[in-house]
Amino acid sequence: MAAVGFLGLFLDFLFSMYFLELLLKVVVFPGLMFISLFAMVVIWFERKFLARIHLRIGPLHVGPMMGLFQPIADFLKVLGKEIIVPSNAHRTMYNLAPILVVTISGMGLAFIPFGPSPSVMSIKNWVIYYTPFNLLLILMFFTIRPLIAIGAGWASNSKFSTIGALRAAFQLLAYEVPLLISIASVIMLAGSFDLIQIVQSQSKVWFIILQPIGFLVFFVAMMAELGRRPFDLPHAEQEIVFGWPTEYTGIQFMCVMLAEYIDLCVGSLLITALFLGGWLGPAFIPPIAWFLLKSLIVTVVIIMGRGVFPRFRMDQLLDLGWTVLIPLALIQVLVVLALAQFAPWILPNVTLGG
Amino acid sequence: MKVRWGPQHPVSGQWSFFLDVDADVVVGMEPDVGYTHRGIEKVAENRTYIQDVPIVERACIFDAGNFVFGYVEAVEELMGIEVPERAKFIRVIVGEMSRIASHLYWLCLMSIAVGLETMLMWPVNDRELFLDLLEMLTGIRLTYSYFIPGGVRYDLPAGFREETERRMDYFERRLKDYYKMLYLNRTFQMRTKDVGVLKQADAIRMSVVGPNLRGSGVKIDVRKDEPYAAYDQIDFTVPTESEGDTYARSLVRFHEMEQSIFIIREALKKIPSGQIRVNVSPSVPKGEVYSRVESARGELGYYIVSDGGNKPYRLKMSAPSFRSLLSLPQIMRGVPMADVPTLYMSLDLIPLDVDR
Repeated sequence: MAAVGFLGLFLDFLFSMYFLELLLKVVVFPGLMFISLFAMVVIWFERKFLARIHLRIGPLHVGPMMGLFQPIADFLKVLGKEIIVPSNAHRTMYNLAPILVVTISGMGLAFIPFGPSPSVMSIKNWVIYYTPFNLLLILMFFTIRPLIAIGAGWASNSKFSTIGALRAAFQLLAYEVPLLISIASVIMLAGSFDLIQIVQSQSKVWFIILQPIGFLVFFVAMMAELGRRPFDLPHAEQEIVFGWPTEYTGIQFMCVMLAEYIDLCVGSLLITALFLGGWLGPAFIPPIAWFLLKSLIVTVVIIMGRGVFPRFRMDQLLDLGWTVLIPLALIQVLVVLALAQFAPWILPNVTLGG
Repeated sequence: MKVRWGPQHPVSGQWSFFLDVDADVVVGMEPDVGYTHRGIEKVAENRTYIQDVPIVERACIFDAGNFVFGYVEAVEELMGIEVPERAKFIRVIVGEMSRIASHLYWLCLMSIAVGLETMLMWPVNDRELFLDLLEMLTGIRLTYSYFIPGGVRYDLPAGFREETERRMDYFERRLKDYYKMLYLNRTFQMRTKDVGVLKQADAIRMSVVGPNLRGSGVKIDVRKDEPYAAYDQIDFTVPTESEGDTYARSLVRFHEMEQSIFIIREALKKIPSGQIRVNVSPSVPKGEVYSRVESARGELGYYIVSDGGNKPYRLKMSAPSFRSLLSLPQIMRGVPMADVPTLYMSLDLIPLDVDR
């Protein structure tokens, strides 16, 4: 019965708890089904919510709760569309980019721990892959994404795609530095790159209270990172049609859109974990529910920007990033350093300087 | 890089621009018009004067009231007839409602050009107020063909005055919301202040008209300078701004909407009773006339030559959008590409009106 050799190892792996757990996590909770559900609910909510701001009704007829299944109907419709590749496009890169962009956005999600248990593999700990450096990895996947945008914009061989790709690159310059500096002050306070450690060190007081400037910088930079209005320059519909994914149709377009919403999910989870105390909260609901609830609220605030702000221009965004956000983030770092030096009793769990 | 902006671009409208782009800066721009050329002036020569009314208003259906206004004023001047006082006031009311509806349409286009979707939806929603009033008065929402040589077609319906008052009160509150939402919005100010400055001398030299000219600090308004219909009996002000940038042009249009509300209220107060129409003969005496009115986009001129028959020998429109279009390449030189839709919308150009 027992197979030997490589096949045996493989079968052992296939029927081990480890694999089943991994499969469950990848397919169900922090993985595919969760993110699809998140995208569906958020798209529905965004449309209804903006419709209320606009004095419209929004989706109405498909499904319960006034058009909850409208995103599914849209998905099925787009699924049936023909995939069109521009005749002078770089076919390989063009076809690869939507898959890459959705994969890389999803990779970030694999490293976010959804619960307090630090054990490596346990069903209670909803993380697909646990590593103490998960924050660094998530930021890495965030930073890679504009590179794919540049590749896709170049491969499309269309003017508006190229302009959109260049804008994505410019935007990376604008938000990446303040984003990292504002995270630096969080890491200094928590003394770890591990999101679990970071959240646990907020058990007395959330970091939003200890470093409000850092939170603002991180929030604005994250909105630019996610490409939400007022910073949706890479997509700026009125200016460059749809930016770098202009030429994509059908399921490829859907992949790009799904990647946007995965990023929105990861971004709001990060904001919650870094500044809003993650899964910490009164015990009447489980920690994981606190985490999701808080990040949904963050998502709503991020979406709200679309209702009230016009779009920035690229020079204004770079101006904001380099002359406002970076100095503010540096001031926050200095404040944290000064507090650690002169008033360490304010800061809980500070490991800075011993 | 050469970029073809339109006609399938999301905000281009029914024409296209050839943009000459260096990195992100527009170094040259050439409008490519003619996609909606319908030969309205030639069509008008083959139809009688009364049949021309629905033709000329299709030159710019967003501002149909004022386009027919100019036409009937020109024909009446050629005929040498005086319309009844009541008809003059009704024409002023319809003309101002048409102006507000047109400015609201511009407001939604301007907002979407800078990327604010909320202010796309609100004005479109509130435009219904005036379209419904016009429907109550004329039976049709947009292309109402309500003015005819000699007067207007129908009298004010019962309850029109009260309904108008009610809607004006509501609309005034909404205008305050617009001001807070758009004009006091820091991001909107960032996007529009000192963008696309049209200096006063340039504006005059390039024969820019209407709110674009008044945004550059020139106080010209045909309603004030050469009053037609009942405008001489209403004491309104002509809003001007001196900066000449996109924000100034936007602000002029906002204040014009407030003035239009004032004019409609005054006209409803002062409107006399009496006839709404005089009978005119279908034939027009031989002669030629140039008559102008202030449409929502500025001065609109009609040049009509009559050979004594019942059809115009020649009808020439001096369309406001076409005259403002000439300044577009000027203000678009040297701006970032992100400002192209903002500048295009700030001049309130309608391709229908340019091509005719």
